[in-house]
Amino acid sequence: MIRQPVSTGTRWILSAIAIGAMFMAYEAISFRQTQKNPKQTVVPGVTSITTGWQKLTTPNKRGETWLVEDVKATYGRLFLGLGLGIGLSIVVGVAMGAYPWIEALLVPPIAFFAKIPPTAMLAVYFVLFGTKLEMFVAMVGFSVFFTLAQSIYQAAKKDVSDDGVHKAYSLGASSGEVIYEVLWKQILPRVIESIRLQIGPAMVFLIAAEYVVGDVGIGYRIRIQSRILNMDVVYIYLILLGASGLAMEWALTRFRRWLCPWFGE
Amino acid sequence: MRSFYPFLLIAATIMTIGCNSRSTTTDPASSDTKNAKGDAGVKPVFSLAWSEYPSWSVFGVAHEKGLIDGDEGKTGPVEDKWGVDIVLKEADYDTCLAYYGASETDAVCMTNMDTLAPSLSRSSVAFLPTSTSVGADACIATDTADLASLQGKPTYGLEMSVSQYCFERNLELQGKTIADFPFKNMDPGAAAQAMQTGQADIQSIMVWNPFVMQTLRTRDGAKVIFDSSTIPEEIIDMVVIGKDALAREGGDAFVGAVVDTFYQINAMMADPKTADETLVDIGKKFSSLSLEDMKQVVQQTRFYATPQAAIDLFNGETFQTKTMPQVVEFCESHGIVASKPTIGFDDADAQVNFVTKYLKPATSK
Repeated sequence: MIRQPVSTGTRWILSAIAIGAMFMAYEAISFRQTQKNPKQTVVPGVTSITTGWQKLTTPNKRGETWLVEDVKATYGRLFLGLGLGIGLSIVVGVAMGAYPWIEALLVPPIAFFAKIPPTAMLAVYFVLFGTKLEMFVAMVGFSVFFTLAQSIYQAAKKDVSDDGVHKAYSLGASSGEVIYEVLWKQILPRVIESIRLQIGPAMVFLIAAEYVVGDVGIGYRIRIQSRILNMDVVYIYLILLGASGLAMEWALTRFRRWLCPWFGE
Repeated sequence: MRSFYPFLLIAATIMTIGCNSRSTTTDPASSDTKNAKGDAGVKPVFSLAWSEYPSWSVFGVAHEKGLIDGDEGKTGPVEDKWGVDIVLKEADYDTCLAYYGASETDAVCMTNMDTLAPSLSRSSVAFLPTSTSVGADACIATDTADLASLQGKPTYGLEMSVSQYCFERNLELQGKTIADFPFKNMDPGAAAQAMQTGQADIQSIMVWNPFVMQTLRTRDGAKVIFDSSTIPEEIIDMVVIGKDALAREGGDAFVGAVVDTFYQINAMMADPKTADETLVDIGKKFSSLSLEDMKQVVQQTRFYATPQAAIDLFNGETFQTKTMPQVVEFCESHGIVASKPTIGFDDADAQVNFVTKYLKPATSK
């Protein structure tokens, strides 16, 4: 029978097994590589995490620490881009959900651009926004904007019943009040969920852009260091990316539950 | 307990994947069943990874002309002559480096400088210098700039690569302080594109061909501040094989076949009857450049067209006592290598060993 519940204890054990299997799989690959070449550094053993950490946290001649510089750069770009993209998509998405003429006007371009992966138009971004911070922010911003605007306007259109809107109007609310009090408050949890789902893709595009034109940042470091086979550094950044992604997801879920407890889990 | 089952299955699958992932194509045993032509005996299989570059695209051309067959299980006349099966792997330059470092290829086309880092974990034998950069790497700036005016302004190029090496060597030769001229990382293709589209913040780039030619042609007023013609025979394009692979049965024959192939194509380039046609073919495998462009390219990427030229380089005193120590020094000071690999010339114990014994004319064996 499906959906048979398991106890909390079993849950923990199974999670531990999965994590253990992950490490074992990694070690197995590392072992295979070591058999090919005993001195390999491509898939170093799990313990190499310490050497990688050392490289990342030891200040260089100019007193810069890779970890600090890269994290500042990458997450600075990410949050700026996310902030702009989210802000813009909320305004546009809600407007589209509220006014059918705006919807009719904007659906074709937004639906079209949402389907083009920003990495495919990297060159266009360079031409339009240069190769500095503006470009990274634009890349992240637009990568979330199109998809997010779509899901927000869908929510504003479908998740809010006409009844509710009409009731508010007949009780004397202005259009602005209906949008804020009825429409916005009802779709807020959906908006937060949609944002949560967009962080992953945004990171993909950011790392790709850093890979090509970054002179600092996680994508840049991964490219340069893997080129000279310093894979211990690379694996730490992979772990960091995974952990930070999980943390952001968790934070947004908590935020949604706190802000909209009526929405449920 | 039934609910456990799927989980265990997944866990078991993950572990199986981990242990059984594809065996390398370089395993001689794996070619047993694949010898398509069915000729006498099984030829040992060796792989060569190459990326588009004038003197490396030669191998792609050799495949197209049928001298060798780059597919596994198929052989061309040169392979038959030497009794090996050469598998060509074409990839991006960085990917080739990754293949070599991960022992996913036996031999690879790379520069003398990029050989150092992988050699720390995989002892390498450089057996064939193919060309040297004499102008193929250049620092290009927009109209008003000269070297003095570049001071304090960033130059964009691939960090920790021959670009940065060439950049700093030229500053050194001109008596400048390297710290006054910041070098910032950017993919060469992106840097060239940024300059070609006239981005205000990119005033100076350090890139290699075809980007040098492309940028000079596309951007009005772009000019070469300096290039690698000031440091001939310092940036060497070559073919390198892992010591482990060379030691395998058929290793010597494989190296011989690669050298043979290279000089056969060079002979075609030297023969007036076939020269243009061969250049056009190479051009097709190097950014689709035309004959005219290729004529310029081979000036800036000077081929070591004969075994003697190659031997003279590897045995040369400048190369052994000045160039290589200098390159090693650069790599260590820039964090490209954590420690200096040992460099040797016909020295089997060295981590990077330059050997000349395979450098024989194409016709002999």
